[in-house]
Amino acid sequence: MEQCNWFQLNAWFQRCAVLAVVLFGVMCAHPAQALPLFARQTGMACLACHTNYPELTHFGRMFKLQGYQLDDGKDLEVTTDDGKQLLSLPAIPNLALFIMSGYVSLGKALPDSNIPGAKSFKDGIQFPQQVSLLYGGKIAPHFGAFAQLTYDSLAGTFGIDNTDFRFADTVILPNKTKLTYGVSINNNPTIEDPWNTTPAFGFPYVPPEINVPYAGLQINAGLAYQVAGPVFYALWNEQLYAAFGFYKAAEVGSPGNPITGAAAPYDSASGSVPAGLNPYWRLAYEYDFDRYAFEVGTYGARFKIYPGAGNALSGLTNNYTDVAGDFQFQFIGEKNTATWKGTYVKENQSLDASYALGGSNATDWLSYLSTDFTYWYNRKYGATVGYLSTKGSTDPLMYPSAPTLCAANSCTGIAAGTPGAFPVGVTNSANSNPTTNAWVTELNYMAWLNVKFVLQYTHYTKFNGGTTNYDGVGRNARDNDTTYLLMWFAL
Amino acid sequence: MKTKTQPMTILATLASAAMALVAASTAMAQEAAAPPVTPAAAEAAENLAYTKCQLCHGPQGHSISPIYPALAGQKAWYILEQLQAFKAQTRGDPYARGMMWGIASNMSDTQMAALADYFSKQTPFASEPAPIFGPSAADIAQGKSIYSEGISATGVAPCSACHQADAKGSDQFPRLAGQHALYLIKQLRAFHSGSREQIVMNGIVGPLKDDDMKAVSLYLESVR
Repeated sequence: MEQCNWFQLNAWFQRCAVLAVVLFGVMCAHPAQALPLFARQTGMACLACHTNYPELTHFGRMFKLQGYQLDDGKDLEVTTDDGKQLLSLPAIPNLALFIMSGYVSLGKALPDSNIPGAKSFKDGIQFPQQVSLLYGGKIAPHFGAFAQLTYDSLAGTFGIDNTDFRFADTVILPNKTKLTYGVSINNNPTIEDPWNTTPAFGFPYVPPEINVPYAGLQINAGLAYQVAGPVFYALWNEQLYAAFGFYKAAEVGSPGNPITGAAAPYDSASGSVPAGLNPYWRLAYEYDFDRYAFEVGTYGARFKIYPGAGNALSGLTNNYTDVAGDFQFQFIGEKNTATWKGTYVKENQSLDASYALGGSNATDWLSYLSTDFTYWYNRKYGATVGYLSTKGSTDPLMYPSAPTLCAANSCTGIAAGTPGAFPVGVTNSANSNPTTNAWVTELNYMAWLNVKFVLQYTHYTKFNGGTTNYDGVGRNARDNDTTYLLMWFAL
Repeated sequence: MKTKTQPMTILATLASAAMALVAASTAMAQEAAAPPVTPAAAEAAENLAYTKCQLCHGPQGHSISPIYPALAGQKAWYILEQLQAFKAQTRGDPYARGMMWGIASNMSDTQMAALADYFSKQTPFASEPAPIFGPSAADIAQGKSIYSEGISATGVAPCSACHQADAKGSDQFPRLAGQHALYLIKQLRAFHSGSREQIVMNGIVGPLKDDDMKAVSLYLESVR
């Protein structure tokens, strides 16, 4: 038998003391606290799916692609006597409410639309900017939905927003790998995609609604909510994702037919109507290692659009071919979360219809680059730096150099030379070029997982092709800068 | 003349004491639950695995994202014990709180036992590819040393004393072989910080430094 000396006993004593402290700590530990917020269907915290809304984690991506199915088992179920299941519905409807209110200040006030030389307010409050009613989650086994109805305070109307109905299933292949497949019927190209590099849920997530608009690509929300279609997809081993689908014009908010007085298929009374079936495709690869998730991919679409607005919906179309590349690098640590992502889209425009109508060049192009880096500490304090760049071909017909003309009591439909008309500029381009570059910085504070405050500053280094006097009436790119304070609640 | 006690002897004694403590607590836990798994319950569990658990853990317990633990081949008693702890909200590490508390909240004892049985019967990691960004040979060697021999200088007991030399676990200790390193290191840190309460592990990991936890986790991930 071995002997112990004092030093060894002392070491034993120390270890026992440590163990005693540990045991005391265990016994005195507070009882487990409730989760700060349960997502209603899964019983999970928001952080399971999001780094910060709407950016998804790996789990959030899988949850989405698998049809929003996962739940905590609290379903209403109806089963026949022979065991056949007829209904499996979440016991509590998965409803949520988004309320966003914002304050926006422009770099410089806009010209007054009625009084020559006068100015508009420099800033504006939107209270609310947007109120959305959402349903998200399981409808039945293999069927799920994310559907959003939104009240837009500027339009003063409720309208359909991002909506995505899904069927999804997962099987094991003979080589023991996992294959998820499904179909998403949706109303916004790229909404079916689970990464936040594609336009539907891409950066900037909530831009200010009070702003000065500039040229945008068709796939970059150009046709959002005006089309609908199925996108078929497959995800192999949580890594390789492929999707292919078609979009057709969807009649949302279109007026009744003048002949029947009721809803009817589109005719020339409507403008910019997509023709036939417009294909969309997506290919992406994600690799997860340690706390990192890296994604690289490509996506694109081809849209044929009738100009309409008094022209028959037949014959020539404007044809847009969008091809994009994207990447996302995500790190999710215990306290630190960081994401760097980006996308570049090139849109080739064959504008047969507009050219024939004398409204544009025969061909044009636009490109869009977006990249941003976001850091969150403790999922509470966040900061983002992003860069947005839109470039394109020069087209005097598409991007007129002559300033927009306004007259008393009206800023629309006033032809050049009308008595009393005066130039306001702002949206035109002195050199007929759409190039617009901007830096976007954000400070975020997530007081609670469902209460977020965002301070965003957008600085334009170039707007509609110029840095100074871009509109020919003295407005500079930086005059369109926006300072935006957003308050966002999710209930 | 002073007789020097071998550090390994002390560590082995500590480990034996830990084993006894865990064996006692495990026996109590097993006694408290584990209803028999009927064929109908087994079929329902497989269905659950394919429709729900698979989202993170894979339908057959092979999780792809290293955030989530692989369950294939894990000991049934251990899976059951963890599911019970999630449901009772007594396992408090962050991912348990954020994810499994909700998922397990409505699971019945029968479902939990059948799921535990199902995943324990899946083949573990026979053909899993090694991570592209794998550990260095030095990490593996350091981890292996800690696992097999402990750290005598700081009184860390060898993990193998409980979890077996091959890390495949036993009736009282969970399987660790092939587990994702990220998951293991998160658990070691949770034991270390006390956010995951387990009397024996809370004490054993006390002297472990973060580098030690990382090394032993990387080593265990490499064990097939």
